[in-house]
Amino acid sequence: MSDTLTITIDGRPCACEPGEYLYDVAERNGIHIPALCRSDAFEDHRACCRVCIVEVEERGRRKVVTSCVYPVERECTVYTNSEKIVEERAVTLALLAKRAPDSETIVSMAQEAGELDGFDRLITLDGEKCILCGLCVQACDSLGTGAISTVNRGVDKKVSTPYDKPSADCIGCLSCANVCPTGAIEYTQDATSRTIWSRTFELAFCERCGNLMGTREAVHRAAEKAGVEEPRVCDACRKKELADEMMQTYRYV
Amino acid sequence: MINGTDRILVCCGTSCIANGALDVADAIEKELEARNLTGDVRVDVVRTGCSGECEQGPVVRFMPRDLMYYRVAARDAKAIVDSLDGAPVKKLLHRRDGQFFEHMDDNPFYALQHKVVLKDVGIIDPLSLDDYIARGGYEGLKRALAMTPDEIISEVEKSGLRGKGGAGFPTGRKWRSAAGYDEWPKYIVCNGDEGDPGAFMDGSTMEGCPHAVIEGMIIGALAIGAEEGVLYIRDEYALARDHIQHAIDDAYEAGILGDSIMGTPHKLHLSIVRGGGAFVCGESTALMASIAGKVGEPRAKYIRSVQRGLFDKPTVLNNVETLASIPTILRFGGDEYAKLGTEKSKGTKVFAMVGKVKHTGLVEVPMGTTLRTLIYDIGGGIMNDRPFKAIQTGGPSGGCIPESLLDLPVDFDTLTEYGAMMGSGGMIVMDDRSCMVEVARYYVDFLCEESCGKCTPCREGLRQMRAILTDICEGRGRAGDIELLERICHTMQDVSLCALGRTAPNPVLTTIKFFRDEYEAHIDRKECPAGVCPDLTRFTIDAEACTGCGMCSRVCPANAISGEVKAAHVIDPDKCIACGSCRDACRFDAVETMRRMPA
Amino acid sequence: MNDTDRASKITAIIEAYPADRRFALAAMQDMQHEFNYIPEEGLAALADYLGCTKAHLYSMATFYKALSLTPKGEHIIKICNGTACHLRGSVNLATELKRILDIEPGQTSADGEFSVEYVNCLGSCALAPVMVVDGVYHNKLKVDQISGIVDSYRTDDSKGVIGDD
Repeated sequence: MSDTLTITIDGRPCACEPGEYLYDVAERNGIHIPALCRSDAFEDHRACCRVCIVEVEERGRRKVVTSCVYPVERECTVYTNSEKIVEERAVTLALLAKRAPDSETIVSMAQEAGELDGFDRLITLDGEKCILCGLCVQACDSLGTGAISTVNRGVDKKVSTPYDKPSADCIGCLSCANVCPTGAIEYTQDATSRTIWSRTFELAFCERCGNLMGTREAVHRAAEKAGVEEPRVCDACRKKELADEMMQTYRYV
Repeated sequence: MINGTDRILVCCGTSCIANGALDVADAIEKELEARNLTGDVRVDVVRTGCSGECEQGPVVRFMPRDLMYYRVAARDAKAIVDSLDGAPVKKLLHRRDGQFFEHMDDNPFYALQHKVVLKDVGIIDPLSLDDYIARGGYEGLKRALAMTPDEIISEVEKSGLRGKGGAGFPTGRKWRSAAGYDEWPKYIVCNGDEGDPGAFMDGSTMEGCPHAVIEGMIIGALAIGAEEGVLYIRDEYALARDHIQHAIDDAYEAGILGDSIMGTPHKLHLSIVRGGGAFVCGESTALMASIAGKVGEPRAKYIRSVQRGLFDKPTVLNNVETLASIPTILRFGGDEYAKLGTEKSKGTKVFAMVGKVKHTGLVEVPMGTTLRTLIYDIGGGIMNDRPFKAIQTGGPSGGCIPESLLDLPVDFDTLTEYGAMMGSGGMIVMDDRSCMVEVARYYVDFLCEESCGKCTPCREGLRQMRAILTDICEGRGRAGDIELLERICHTMQDVSLCALGRTAPNPVLTTIKFFRDEYEAHIDRKECPAGVCPDLTRFTIDAEACTGCGMCSRVCPANAISGEVKAAHVIDPDKCIACGSCRDACRFDAVETMRRMPA
Repeated sequence: MNDTDRASKITAIIEAYPADRRFALAAMQDMQHEFNYIPEEGLAALADYLGCTKAHLYSMATFYKALSLTPKGEHIIKICNGTACHLRGSVNLATELKRILDIEPGQTSADGEFSVEYVNCLGSCALAPVMVVDGVYHNKLKVDQISGIVDSYRTDDSKGVIGDD
């Protein structure tokens, strides 16, 4: 399994290990492939936005694959910007831009990929920013929170908490909002509280420096997971406190 | 002479039950009881699976005399029992051109078929293991138990069997690769989630001969080394599920399933998972996600299920009809099976032929039979002798095939070359009163709900196609719409995550390819040539042709038709909802359609 | 059904299965069968039992068509909209039901007596168009037969006058 392979991406020879994902090989070699539903934070990729498509020529056959989950198993030639890919990526992005017209990121990506003129005819989902990449759900699940999920199927699919109600599982950690590529998950925050997914959380501040540590629920959950007592001070201050204690101790040695 | 060998087979498939078959069976049994024919000298009533000609049901057949009765009602029981050793009941026989036919094979609907998968369906009692064994059931398994896994796989490879769920992947090759992985446990999964609207082959097979599916699974399990198997059966198929469960229980009882298959050290445990009602779960990776207790979303298949399938273990997933073909292959040998069919598509295929064809139902023919034979020779042609327009094959993944291609042989590859596909075997016949744009819209609408919604091209492409097609059907089509549809279709074909999305454009692309003029009529002239799209169509009655029978006004749901008996009727255009019920009901072709909108 | 009854029924359904996520769908189908929908407390109890989150089960419950989160009517009318039925006018059956019951497919009548659903293919294509009421098939239906069929399922005092024969 450890025999290194050399594949050609856009005319450039690239070394890789068998089984490595094509996207990763390209990125390592400085070849950028646009992608939306892929994040380095996760090992598994959902391969659902379909923006990272490339053409692979293998044993004389050319096929369109999604590079984020395509494992390189043998020598091949890869085209990230062939005529076919350019067209199909443009259509895919145009479809996303019509779905999420309020996302500047998506609309400008679509405009870059091709003009949107030919797609005037298509219907738009007014006010929508979500492209259903699923990164938010993946983030929430990977933290063991599991407060949100995809709901419904087909064209009615969306992301929400169960029954669209405030979820008892949510800890207001913002992982979902932070990982979202289009800023579709909204939240509000004032001096003492944060509201996300229709639930309001009290914020916890460091007793020493006064910095924000997160919501009470998030602080509590983190401590529970680590099996420690709930902290009153932030990480930085805790380290400082430790250092101070050490100083105190050693002063008498 | 009634001598105790007579059996009365009453078809109790879903359709015949819907037509009252259970009452028929009960009435016949009662009649036999009244005549003391349930004791030592007896006639058994066997409630069988689907005999095929669903439209003529309930169907009753005497064996061994092979006398076949159609459209039987409970009140016919007395006459039927009278005819056991006497003259047949004429009014219940198959009649064509004034002649009466007594035997099943006299009826061209059956005569041209060749049954392998369905050979016992409609003949045996699906709830009787003895019946199945009496017809050679589990002989294939016995042979397999005396073979090595490699020998079993070679036999299947020799048969040329390909996956009959539609994809046509060689079954032997699939088994061989699954057998090659040294990772345990392994699983065998039966895909009984038949979801194509207009297809009921697999449901009928499971209902009518559940043991054939189970025998196929056991043989597959021996070949790949699986000790656990799952049958994923569609939610709507209650009867099929009952029959499979019954057969599993009987097989355990008889020592055919369990910790020692027929006294050998081989093991196999089978269970049923009831589908959740999602078309996409017919896709293998979605099906396996569903079994694992997740949402039925497909995953990218660059790593195949034979390596990492159910619970991430090596898995063989075969469709019902594929598995039900296995016992015959093992019993008579792969070479024997390979004698049927074409060079690249061996054996037979079961089709559910429905729509505007005279004899609808379940048919099994050798691969390579032409569409024309299926529609005209077996199906008896188009209802009311109207002109044929198209046949839709392969459901939402398939395409619409026009008259000019009716002589194509039906197999895995030929229809695909024309942008359609044989698919799992659904065939819907359409006449000149079917609007091809509306048909495309229907399938896209179906898929909008049935797509899992995970990937962009499928979810968003379908959403946009539905909007465009609806516009076209409702008179808002624009120049350039056809080209835009094609552009979206081509991207969906290449870029979608799973087979559902990649084949979803087929109904649209084939109707554009073969019936472009209909699209143009809708877009350019705001006209629906078939007179189907309500926004484009106005119905009137030809006073000359109208006999005043009143049929149209009786079926009109909007009470829009009035007229005196025996005088020409009139449609009130303000009340008419353009549903077309009157046109279908009129026996004198007096209902006409015309353009509603100015072009 | 009072709350205690309901709670004990939910427990009985859930505990019939091992605490393994692969039985989530089966347990929810049993609840659907028992209550005509999946009660919120049933979903929560199942999540607890299986050790998964409510969001996971909610995702499934909204994905699979066999499951529903709102109570359905006492009588369930399924209009087959498989291709064969579609071609033979299933839409007209829906239009007629809307006229009689004032509900679209997917809705339940205000009195809770009927739910109307479109279903994808009931496997009786040869007998199209097909409508199934509480599991009983009505085949080759003509629009004018519908009100009579619907009335035969109504409780006596609410019986309509149309097609009352």
